Amino acid sequence: MLGGSPAKHIARGSGTFHYANEATMTEKSSVAGQTLVGVGALLVGAVMAYGATFISSEAGYAGVGPNALPWLVSVVLMVCGAWLVWEARTGGYRELETPSGAERGDWHAVAWVIGGVVANASLITTLGFILSCALCFALAVRGLRMAEGKAGGGARRSLTDFVTGVAISAPVFWLFTKLLAINLPGLTASGWL
Amino acid sequence: MMDLWNQLMGGFATAATPINLLWAFLGCVIGTAIGVLPGLGPAVTVAMLLPITSQVEPTASMIFFAGIYYGAMYGGSTTSILLNTPGETGTMVTALEGFKMAKNGRAGAALATAAIGSFVAGTIATVLVTLFAPIVADFAVTLGPPEYFLLMLLAFTTVSAVLGKSTLRGMTSLFIGLALGLIGLDQITGQVRYTMGVPEFMDGIETVLVAVGLFAVGETLYTALYEGRSTQEVNKLSSVHMTRKEWKRSIPAWLRGTFIGFPFGTIPAGGSEIPTFLSYATERKLSDHKDEFGTTGAIEGVAGPEAANNAAVTATLVPLLTLGIPTSVTAAILLSALQNYGIQAGPQLFTTSSTLVWALIASLYIGNVMLLVLNLPLVGLWVKLLKIPKPQLYAGILIFATVGVYGMRQSAFDLYVMLALGLMGVAMRRFDFPTAPVVVGMILGPLAEAQMRNALSIGSGNWGVFVERPLSLGLLVVLAAVLALPRLWRWRTAASRK
Repeated sequence: MLGGSPAKHIARGSGTFHYANEATMTEKSSVAGQTLVGVGALLVGAVMAYGATFISSEAGYAGVGPNALPWLVSVVLMVCGAWLVWEARTGGYRELETPSGAERGDWHAVAWVIGGVVANASLITTLGFILSCALCFALAVRGLRMAEGKAGGGARRSLTDFVTGVAISAPVFWLFTKLLAINLPGLTASGWL
Repeated sequence: MMDLWNQLMGGFATAATPINLLWAFLGCVIGTAIGVLPGLGPAVTVAMLLPITSQVEPTASMIFFAGIYYGAMYGGSTTSILLNTPGETGTMVTALEGFKMAKNGRAGAALATAAIGSFVAGTIATVLVTLFAPIVADFAVTLGPPEYFLLMLLAFTTVSAVLGKSTLRGMTSLFIGLALGLIGLDQITGQVRYTMGVPEFMDGIETVLVAVGLFAVGETLYTALYEGRSTQEVNKLSSVHMTRKEWKRSIPAWLRGTFIGFPFGTIPAGGSEIPTFLSYATERKLSDHKDEFGTTGAIEGVAGPEAANNAAVTATLVPLLTLGIPTSVTAAILLSALQNYGIQAGPQLFTTSSTLVWALIASLYIGNVMLLVLNLPLVGLWVKLLKIPKPQLYAGILIFATVGVYGMRQSAFDLYVMLALGLMGVAMRRFDFPTAPVVVGMILGPLAEAQMRNALSIGSGNWGVFVERPLSLGLLVVLAAVLALPRLWRWRTAASRK
């Protein structure tokens, strides 16, 4: 099932295989990372299979019921996952395009951005759309600025960012709630904040 | 023929009402802007604006969305030429020659040939849509569930297995998309699937959530993680006009590009990547100025692919409107916009919603003119957008992402799901998984499943139903050919090299 043995590969000292003419492994896309992604697909497939056991197979005239596609999807995902793991362990994913950007991720910077989104998700109903989005904006800008190797900025900078955030989110809020009558949460019942 | 003319005129009457003209104009402006800006594409922009489908009437919003789709193609070429980072996959090839031309001080000519070429191709392609879509719709009425299922299978195959380098990674993406599409109620029996007790999952995962999570949030997180220190040079703008000689070199390239692009848009071949590359290769082969390709930049190399790109984008409307089958990510999202209105895209559309269809087609003619005006004399204005600093731009994208996701069904829970999908988007980009199959699989999956089960019901559970009907058998052969031919080809070229 896992494909034929590759036509040509050369053994390296470490015992892993490298393809002569194909993408070589770089730190950008490590064996560990690739394996993890494969395992992830495998796990999703397994969870889907578990879930599929709860779906009725009542088929009617069709001969296939609502559980047919779930089973197909889970099996294919598990096969794909296993195959990805196999590729990762035998020289890495085939025909891999080198991803753009830096070798290593700036996890410190991205944590600020993720924090912004999480803050927004948990505060939007209490703070209202405008303030919550402005907070998200300020946190995200800080993270993205740090990603560029600049300082995140002090209290003054953060306040400016927050005000910029309000300047973007307020018109958007009014446009959607007033003009298009789409429900977005506000802090007050006035409909303006 | 007369009938067609009358219907088209009726379409113009609807599209030219002040309010619809305003929507078209707004769409063109937003489309051009997001085309110019890196980080946002037409698919995610239309997805973010899907909440408006609950308030705006269908004709107006389809005109608006089509304007965005179109405008992004015009705007995307500006970024490719000046910045060398294509805003859109379809304008990737434009960057090859366009950026070189701009580097040598001919940015203006490159921008002019791109905009005028887009206009020429877009208009010719719209004429072709006007002529052929009704014919295809008439034919499509005769198709039954088995044929529809196989057509959708064909779309899945091309988008995941044929495009992109790795079939394995394409398949993985497609099945992740299908898995997302499974969440919610089963279309036929109404059975609940994979809701994990979360009430929000009962209605399924919204399209806007997946598109915004994967593309907008994923892009922002990826930028923070890996692209912070990447710098870009911006080429100088020169006056936007073409010399007599440049016109003479551009016109045949536009026409060739149009006729390469159009057929590719109508078949499920995954949008505009293949036709643009094909057009580029053709121009390179036919050109009398081969020395300019890859060195100083050849104008044919911009004119051809740009025309092919716009023709393909316009042509995607044929399968979308007549069969209900999307052949690109944006088309898939347009389909789900129609679904929000409870409108079934398919051959019936031309009879049940003929006002909408013809107004949409008429608005394409109008939109092309608007975009030519917006992009030629006003290009300097759009270039200013490139001055927005990256942190503010991407953080701002997060605000728009929130509007789209939260506005769709007022659920803060969806914002967490959006973040999770964003993280998945980062991993997919880092490990070179295509994202288009996820969206297409999610939107088309439930439809394909229903068609398959209906087809089997017709055959009383007998799978033979797919080979007994001549048309579905023919489609099966095409499907096999699409899967086998590229592999055979590769195998042959590999063998001949030895």
